[in-house]
Amino acid sequence: MTTSSEDVLLQVPQVRYKKGDGTLFLMDQRLIWMVENRDTVAVSHSYADIKSQKISPEGKVKVQLQVVLHNGVSSTFHFTNRNGLQAQLADRDKVKEMLQTLLPKFKRKVDRELEEKNKLLSSNPALLQLYKDLVMTEVVTSEEFWVQHASQYTQKQKQQPQDIGVSGAFLADIKPQTDGCNGLKYNITPDIIECIFKTYPAVKKKYVENVPTKLSESQFWTKFFQSHYFHRDRKYAESKDLFTECGKIDDQEMKRDIQTGVDDPLVNITEFEDKTLDEGYGVANEKTNVTSGTVSQAMIKRFNQHSIMVLKATKKQENSEAEAKNVPKQNGNVSEEKPDDGHVAKKQRIQSKITYEDLDSPSASSSGGPSLSLSKVERYLHGPMPDSNVEQLNPNEASSVLRGVLQETRQWQSRHPSTSLVTPAAAVGALGELSPGGALMRGFQEQSLAQLVPADIENEVRNLYLALCELLSHFWKCFPPSTPTMEQKAVKMHEALHRYHTAKLKPFEDKLIRELSPLSHHLTKHLNQLLNAAYQKFSNWQKIKNR
Amino acid sequence: MKLNVGGLIVYFPYDYIYPEQYAYMCELKKALDAKGHCLLEMPSGTGKTTTLLSLVVAYMLENPHDVRKLIYCSRTVPEIEKVMEELKKLLLYYEKQDGEYPHLVGLVLSSRKNLCIHPEVSTEREGKIVDGKCHSLTASYIRERHNYDDTTPICQYYEGFSLDGKESTMPYGVYSIDDLKQYGRDRNWCPYFLSRFVINHANIVVYSYHYLLDPKIAEVVSKELTKESVVIFDEAHNIDNVCIDSMSVKVNKRIIDRATENINLLERTVAEMREDDHKKLQDEYQRLVEGLRDASVARETDVILSNPVLPDAILTEAVPGNIRNAEHFISFLKRFIEYLKTRLRVQHVVQESPAGFLKDIQTKVCIERKPLRFCAERLASLLRTLEISDLTDFSPVILITHLATLVATYTKGFTIIVEPFDDKTPTVSNPILHVSCLDSSIAIKPVFDRFQTVVITSGTLSPMDMYPKILNFHPVIMSSFTMTLARPCLLPMIVSKGNDQVAISSKYETREDNAVIRNYGQLLVEVAANVPDGIVCFFTSYLYLESVVASWYDQGVIDSLQRYKLLFIETQDSAETSFALMYYIKACESGRGAVLLSVARGKVSEGVDFDHHLGRAVLMFGIPYVYTQSRILKARLDYLRDQFQIKENDFLTFDAMRHAAQCVGRAIRGKTDYGIMIFADKRFSRSDKRSKLPKWIQEHLKDSLTNLSTEEAVQIAKRWLRQMAQPFTREDQLGVSLLTLEQLQSLEASKIQEQAQQN
Repeated sequence: MTTSSEDVLLQVPQVRYKKGDGTLFLMDQRLIWMVENRDTVAVSHSYADIKSQKISPEGKVKVQLQVVLHNGVSSTFHFTNRNGLQAQLADRDKVKEMLQTLLPKFKRKVDRELEEKNKLLSSNPALLQLYKDLVMTEVVTSEEFWVQHASQYTQKQKQQPQDIGVSGAFLADIKPQTDGCNGLKYNITPDIIECIFKTYPAVKKKYVENVPTKLSESQFWTKFFQSHYFHRDRKYAESKDLFTECGKIDDQEMKRDIQTGVDDPLVNITEFEDKTLDEGYGVANEKTNVTSGTVSQAMIKRFNQHSIMVLKATKKQENSEAEAKNVPKQNGNVSEEKPDDGHVAKKQRIQSKITYEDLDSPSASSSGGPSLSLSKVERYLHGPMPDSNVEQLNPNEASSVLRGVLQETRQWQSRHPSTSLVTPAAAVGALGELSPGGALMRGFQEQSLAQLVPADIENEVRNLYLALCELLSHFWKCFPPSTPTMEQKAVKMHEALHRYHTAKLKPFEDKLIRELSPLSHHLTKHLNQLLNAAYQKFSNWQKIKNR
Repeated sequence: MKLNVGGLIVYFPYDYIYPEQYAYMCELKKALDAKGHCLLEMPSGTGKTTTLLSLVVAYMLENPHDVRKLIYCSRTVPEIEKVMEELKKLLLYYEKQDGEYPHLVGLVLSSRKNLCIHPEVSTEREGKIVDGKCHSLTASYIRERHNYDDTTPICQYYEGFSLDGKESTMPYGVYSIDDLKQYGRDRNWCPYFLSRFVINHANIVVYSYHYLLDPKIAEVVSKELTKESVVIFDEAHNIDNVCIDSMSVKVNKRIIDRATENINLLERTVAEMREDDHKKLQDEYQRLVEGLRDASVARETDVILSNPVLPDAILTEAVPGNIRNAEHFISFLKRFIEYLKTRLRVQHVVQESPAGFLKDIQTKVCIERKPLRFCAERLASLLRTLEISDLTDFSPVILITHLATLVATYTKGFTIIVEPFDDKTPTVSNPILHVSCLDSSIAIKPVFDRFQTVVITSGTLSPMDMYPKILNFHPVIMSSFTMTLARPCLLPMIVSKGNDQVAISSKYETREDNAVIRNYGQLLVEVAANVPDGIVCFFTSYLYLESVVASWYDQGVIDSLQRYKLLFIETQDSAETSFALMYYIKACESGRGAVLLSVARGKVSEGVDFDHHLGRAVLMFGIPYVYTQSRILKARLDYLRDQFQIKENDFLTFDAMRHAAQCVGRAIRGKTDYGIMIFADKRFSRSDKRSKLPKWIQEHLKDSLTNLSTEEAVQIAKRWLRQMAQPFTREDQLGVSLLTLEQLQSLEASKIQEQAQQN
């Protein structure tokens, strides 16, 4: 194992691994640990395999170092220098520092993409199966597979991760620490700064204005923490600092919002009273002028403001997206619709309050959505008919048919008394024909397919379907091929289908014939039909094109 | 379903029914049969409104001669709108069942603010301004002036209505505020006046309490409603306060000053008119001689904002001679205002009876009782004569005349209190003269006398024997229904101590104690950490809320609270509070959860529902006693003790507990809902408090839940929440808290059998 050319970079004795004492060696390619007094290498990790190293926290009795490998395995080494804790720590730190310098050199350029794909495959069994069926059998190439067939999965990955909202307590989390000499130390992280900016756009504006031209970043934050703006229990007017304006901007914003009013009639307290008492009537004392007079009133206002702004910060993005979508639609008749909308919304809100869902019958409650009204139900159910002129009868014909039918039915009533509909002999005959073995039951197999097919074959059929459907869906998507790329793709997909036919379907059919001959045809009939339909389409298209 | 309630077929617009709804119908029918008043308590969220409407509408259709009209009074505009929607649903159900729309007209009456469709006037938000502007477009002399002067603006909708609105009848149907507006727009009729006109013959009228209880408005609006009416006061737990508010008047320096200005203006106008148009004043004098009830004068549009309650005697009498002449009347008013001014110049609190006040006024400025009584009517007449279009400017002097009339009319049940300063700011001189009504039965008496059945109902009326006393009426039926439940969907708990075993209480001696405030804070933080979605807290007063929030900020409670949920606080500015509420709902709906700090007796506690996830827990910090140092309250308590033999403490506790129940009841809005109710005060566990809670809360307040520490309460809540989070289906409810028609019928049959066996 050990090549002769290996250099020992560091050797640390008295290292315990899994209850065995030994020595830790840091070589130039790998990390090894040998049991004491023996020559065998018990642990050997190539640096390239090591993902990270961890050390035990300070103050712990055991001084340990752990290396974690890419495959998730980890090995823990316990430093047991007899010279005491200090020496153990020194040993450990030596190893740690050495590893720190070594590891980055060996850090394999992990193909991120590959890793991602790997992860995708392992997390989606259906995709993995498809991959096996299509790529491993070389029906489609790997690139094609990732570009086309797995696109929905990769896209899901690409989708923007949900924005992390703002915690309500982010300001509270900035705990001041006394630094011993009458000063306070605030620790802020980029996260907190982000939160502050998101929630208080006014502060962000100030920041952009002042940093770094007028103030350094730390000065800016120092001022921020000194300001009343941060200390919610102070009042504005007292100090004239950078953030006085921020507070005012926020206040104005809030005022504007309040003035626009509340559209939910159930919480709009100002509109609750139908008739208010005039000034001078009633027992209650006149309301003291509602200015944010006392400190605590101002504080309460700011708590409300804070919560509202936190909520707004998270809502902002969704709204802007939604608005962007809505704008073009409404452009025309905004002015007309608006009052109506409010009216309907209000009505819905009230309706939702007065309905007792448990009192309603279940059917009534479910019929909420808009109902579909169809002028021609058949067309909706069957899809567009190829030859619809057959349906149309001229009125004369129709009436004659109707008359005929009426005549017939009239005769039925007269001919048959309701008790005997069929003669006994005929009934027995019909029953016989309908029993297994009878003339009408020739195609019937006593055992259903499901019972006959062994589980593994069933599974295989399922996978075949899965792969074929995937291919077919892409194939059919190319039609009608309007652009050259589409045409190319159609050709390519056609080839892929052929390859699939030879690489997957044929072997399977052969296998079936060998193993369960009677069924072979039945099981793959439909698959073949699907394929043939596609081939047909393709050849038709080719013919038309070549003409 | 169609029910048989004591022989009456009732259409109920649902396929299932709660047992208590059926019981409620039975009791209500008995009251209707007996043509008497009744008092019914049924928990919120059990479909009270739809039950009431179904039964009364069925009764009305069955016995059209016994009950001609249903007058449904509710408290807030959203409540009214809800009632209208329920009514619509019910009548549509009738149509579906019978194939014919029932021959009923139901409509809402609301203030001009809500009903106006005039393009300019309706943009105003303040009710008073809308009234004033409307008046300046529709008063009779304005319209007369328009006849010869086209530049005088008038309201086309009112003109349209007066042209052909009164001849036609409204088609059968239910008209909510929006429907009325649409109806008005389609026909070019004013919805407000249309609605005021139609309520006289509509079968179902829905409006606010004030239209019936406030004599100033009732005189104008509801005077001609038929006697064979059923009047329903929904959410009526505060009805006594509404009555008192509508009959009380207070005057401060500012009002006096403005009234003086008004008088001066009036004097000038009268003098001008004396020169220009001598005849008009002469006419008025003649009319006053003949008596006040001159129909041609009292056009409906002129009579706004006037008329305090007047005994019928006054209306038939002629105005006394010494105030008939306009100049005389103005100097009379001047004297009266001067007198009030002197009364306000006091250094200490004065309290006296109306009789004493009248005597004093007689000796000091030689004003007798009789002309005082006519003050309000006389001023209204003068303002009409002077063609003053915008009455809002004259509200101070109108207020003064109302005061005069009230004092002179009622010698009992009122008190006069002059306070030189506010109790909270004893250094600032701010004298106020209160003429305060002490007897809530005065305002509601005409209603009880006039209408054959008055139903007072709410989710929280306990203890029920108090209402007949303070409203001075004799109900034929008095009943409280509980909520049948298939699972214990409410969890009332009394938390009496914090984790450190310090008793928590908002009583005066300990409320500022840091330990108590800290324990309240800890309780809230613990609850916030364990209860999902929305949490609502109620404090006893706004001042207390403020001081607690300040201490919580210092103690770091707010910080730890914000770690779990967003924090919203009710403020004294209602627009701001509405806004905060809107975001509170948004926060709950986005899944972040939120805490709302609010005040008992505040607007939030009275009108906003926190159903389902909006209120999974309600905390009541302390017992919401009314501010007991207020002299007006003291006077009222004395009066109650002397007149009705109600002990002060009984009334105070009753008042506090109904508000507490009202607050915690906000969280439960139906049987599929669930919520925790925490009463955080040691005093709640005493039996005198506990027993005054509504029955449906008491039932679930087991003895083991009445003396908990914070930690214990949170443990119980956790377990309970886990239980509540399980799926809850209709099948679980059926037969227990939800009945099909068959189940109901079999239940009835077995009951009858039992009775038969007993006999």
